[in-house]
Amino acid sequence: MRSISETDAARFLLRAQFGTSEAEIAAVRAQGYDAWLEAQFASPRGQSGIDWLDAHGHNAVAKDVKYFDPTPGNYMIWNQLIGQPDQMRQRCAYALSQFTVVSLNPIDGFWPPYMLAGWWDVLLEGAFGNFRDLIEHVSLSPAMGMYLSTKGNLKEDPKTGRQPDENYAREVMQLFTIGLHELNPDGTERKGADGKPIETYGQDDIMNLARVFTGYDHNMDRVKYQTVAWQNYPVVSHEFCVDPMKLDPKKHSQLEVRFLGLTIPANTPGPDALRLALDHLFAHANVGPFFGRQMIQRMVTSNPSPAYVGRVAAAFNDNGKGVRGDLKAVWRAVLTDPEALDPPADPLGGKLREPVLRILGWARTCGAHSDTGAYEIYSTERADEGLGQSPLKSPSVFNFYRPGYVPPHTEIAKAGRVAPEFQIETETSLAGYINFLQWSLRWGYKDVKPTYAALRAIAHDPAAVVAWLNLHLSGNQLSDATCALIAGALASKTVTAASSDSEKLDRIAAACLLVMSAPEYLVQK
Amino acid sequence: MSNIITTPVSRRTMLRRASQLGFMGAAAPLAINLAGAAEAAALGANDYRALVCIFLYGGNDHGNTLIPYDPINYNRYSGIRGQVGILQKYLSPLKTRTPQTLTDDIQYSFPPYAPRLKLLFESGKLATQLNVGPLITPLTLQQYKSSNRALYPLPPKLFSHNDQQSVWQALGSEGSTIGWGGRMGDLAMAGNGHALLTCISAAGNAVFVSGENALQYQISPSGAIAVKAIQGLPYGSPAISEALHQLITRPSEHKLENELAILARRSIEMEGVVNTALAKVDIKTSFDQLSGPNPLADQLKIVARLIGARKELGSKRQVFFVTLDGFDHHSGLSEKHVDLIKKLDEAMAAFYIATVELGMQREVTAFTASDFGRTLVNNGDGSDHGWGSHHFIMGGAVKGGRFYGTAPHVSVDTDDQVGQGRLLPSTSVDQYAATLAHWFGVPDHEMATVLPNIGNFSNRNIGFV
Repeated sequence: MRSISETDAARFLLRAQFGTSEAEIAAVRAQGYDAWLEAQFASPRGQSGIDWLDAHGHNAVAKDVKYFDPTPGNYMIWNQLIGQPDQMRQRCAYALSQFTVVSLNPIDGFWPPYMLAGWWDVLLEGAFGNFRDLIEHVSLSPAMGMYLSTKGNLKEDPKTGRQPDENYAREVMQLFTIGLHELNPDGTERKGADGKPIETYGQDDIMNLARVFTGYDHNMDRVKYQTVAWQNYPVVSHEFCVDPMKLDPKKHSQLEVRFLGLTIPANTPGPDALRLALDHLFAHANVGPFFGRQMIQRMVTSNPSPAYVGRVAAAFNDNGKGVRGDLKAVWRAVLTDPEALDPPADPLGGKLREPVLRILGWARTCGAHSDTGAYEIYSTERADEGLGQSPLKSPSVFNFYRPGYVPPHTEIAKAGRVAPEFQIETETSLAGYINFLQWSLRWGYKDVKPTYAALRAIAHDPAAVVAWLNLHLSGNQLSDATCALIAGALASKTVTAASSDSEKLDRIAAACLLVMSAPEYLVQK
Repeated sequence: MSNIITTPVSRRTMLRRASQLGFMGAAAPLAINLAGAAEAAALGANDYRALVCIFLYGGNDHGNTLIPYDPINYNRYSGIRGQVGILQKYLSPLKTRTPQTLTDDIQYSFPPYAPRLKLLFESGKLATQLNVGPLITPLTLQQYKSSNRALYPLPPKLFSHNDQQSVWQALGSEGSTIGWGGRMGDLAMAGNGHALLTCISAAGNAVFVSGENALQYQISPSGAIAVKAIQGLPYGSPAISEALHQLITRPSEHKLENELAILARRSIEMEGVVNTALAKVDIKTSFDQLSGPNPLADQLKIVARLIGARKELGSKRQVFFVTLDGFDHHSGLSEKHVDLIKKLDEAMAAFYIATVELGMQREVTAFTASDFGRTLVNNGDGSDHGWGSHHFIMGGAVKGGRFYGTAPHVSVDTDDQVGQGRLLPSTSVDQYAATLAHWFGVPDHEMATVLPNIGNFSNRNIGFV
């Protein structure tokens, strides 16, 4: 095996997690990729979002009725992504959050932050587990139940003509498992005799599968009801945000279910019907290439070769020990594929780093920290004054951008390539992002502030500052000319080892601003 | 209304013909130049027209947007809708400008929380298009059920959100890169002072306003966004400002990087132009009459301000895109739909009044679109993905106070629906769009380049504007 350079290690870390540190770069170089990955898979979980919310008083029942306020859901997820030690698990869960999507946006009622924390726990727990378990936990998640309306989904009623809700049945196929078209093992579309793609399912499949998801509602078994003076109904405790949804057999359809060639007989008990249906979806040949290709897109490149997709799908189909759906095998295949590790040569290679990943990379690398522990970072979704994107706040179940997005009028389109993240890169968001950086890099966001520990010591040396950022934020993607341009601009104001902290921080923030605005950094290769 | 775009042969048509005839030799550039010149001359009109697409993301529940009022049809509605139905006591019949007899003598009501839309309808400024949706060819229920897809093609991926959004906007499933708003922009851009300000989205990326040549320009509700660090002195340093400008705009050999640089140049250049023009426009109309935020109203206000700045910017023909999100009411329909229709009511009315304030109401036509209609059958407290839907067209040039198209039966078993009250469209998006395009100035011989399937339909102008 060839030795791993500093650049190789940083480049790997910027995909496998958010940021880089000296110690992590050294660890990757010393251990090698596989052993480093094994160590991450074996490392303990950080504090859960639920525990964090409890610890910061967001469980308070008081007259200000904060239990209806979704806002601390943002604090919770930013704390998880920036502050919790299980960084690779967080990174993988973030990738999953763009595949099986739930958004804080429409979640209302009691305890929305807990609802989101419960959801995040499903993804964190599932990240290093098996896809089959993940998809079951996703299906029964109380947050997903609210988001795609499995919660309260009732069986058909011949008297009134009421029909089961089709929402989840549709999206679990279209988005979470098999997709619209039959795929070859390498992710390319199969073609029918007429030369056209073959659709995986039809409306009848959806209407049948919808019966499987009837009868579920939030599980209130562990919930305590507290009578309060300021409202005429009790305040419930938040266990229902974590516990999987509960089946009420009386509300569950007993009709036969026929979908995708499977027949679930009439009167099959609900839990068995769910198991059979999810087993059937999980066994579909599309899942490996459909899921695998999107995970490559989230972590490595927008346009993986069919061979690369095929290798990742093969790892999904069999982890080497005969197990299908082992996500650890998927991450290893995505991150250590030759196409990922080889030096980039393709002038259309890589992917646009999305705004949330830019800010997380910076925050982790530059030691963003909250003295109060509050993490009062609000939604950053506005494009004109934020990042144009905020974690767990997708505008719809279709994620912030689509895996097949083609930016019109570009060389990317002419080459027949896709560039998903370009869907949220606009005249507005481009400027809004740089404006967001200008303030945040220098002063932080509310209580979350950068420490810049490694950079303060070398702030008097512009070239050293740029070299450090180039390695740690971009895996040495900036050209010598770009580094020289940035260093020259930094040198225009004198900073010495004896300069004030404020002068040093001005220089460090300016350096980060220039690096993080540069296209050579923005495109992760 | 006469057509303004009278170029006999558009640049695109010329290109297509050139390639068909295989004479892409030395003559091609000349042909293109001639075509371009002719286009520019024809578009040197001195009037103004704007189309505004109001896209209701998620699939608007048409069943609770236009509600049967007369007793017979109301009872059918009430029986099918169950608990998501609106009580009749809250309804009032819409008065058409001239008497109209619709299917089954149906009378319609708007929901009680859309008083402004009712007023606009009854004063003739708002028209309603009944049961419109994507079609390749006219289609009967029998043809829909036929297995002969060669003879009776269906729009791709019916009932799927992302695909039907794309079909409504670009007449093709997800992955389409050219919308019919953008195609109109292709024809109109040469006549505008700034070609880039032909197709504008105030709601983020949308294929509707992306043309073959026309780019979609993105604006925020607060106007164009400046890169402050370029205009000012970031961290007190002019050198940082200069370096930033250079870094983000200089070309790169890596294509993705280069596209970012192109976008940055466009963002910076247009910000100055747009904000300078907008600074001179003051709109007094209130877009904030109801409590609570209304993102659609915010977007329509910036559209109104851009229309106010048309002379300064040299704009003659513009296509705008705005959105209201959250219409996918599989559950909670009764509460959530109310809130969204209130916002739609507030925003559309404010926009119309603003165009009156600008003296431009006859030059601006707004229309709604959405992923799809929904089932009439309820699933308990919501409805599911459908196909055809009812839509609004609003403006001073609109022949409003009238229903266009064919009213569907209030039913789950007639031949104008494909089950559970999912409407089989009786008017196609192409026909709806062609009517708008005709008003905008697209000549008949160019209509098929804007709307490739329009030739399959005999009526190409529904007449609502």
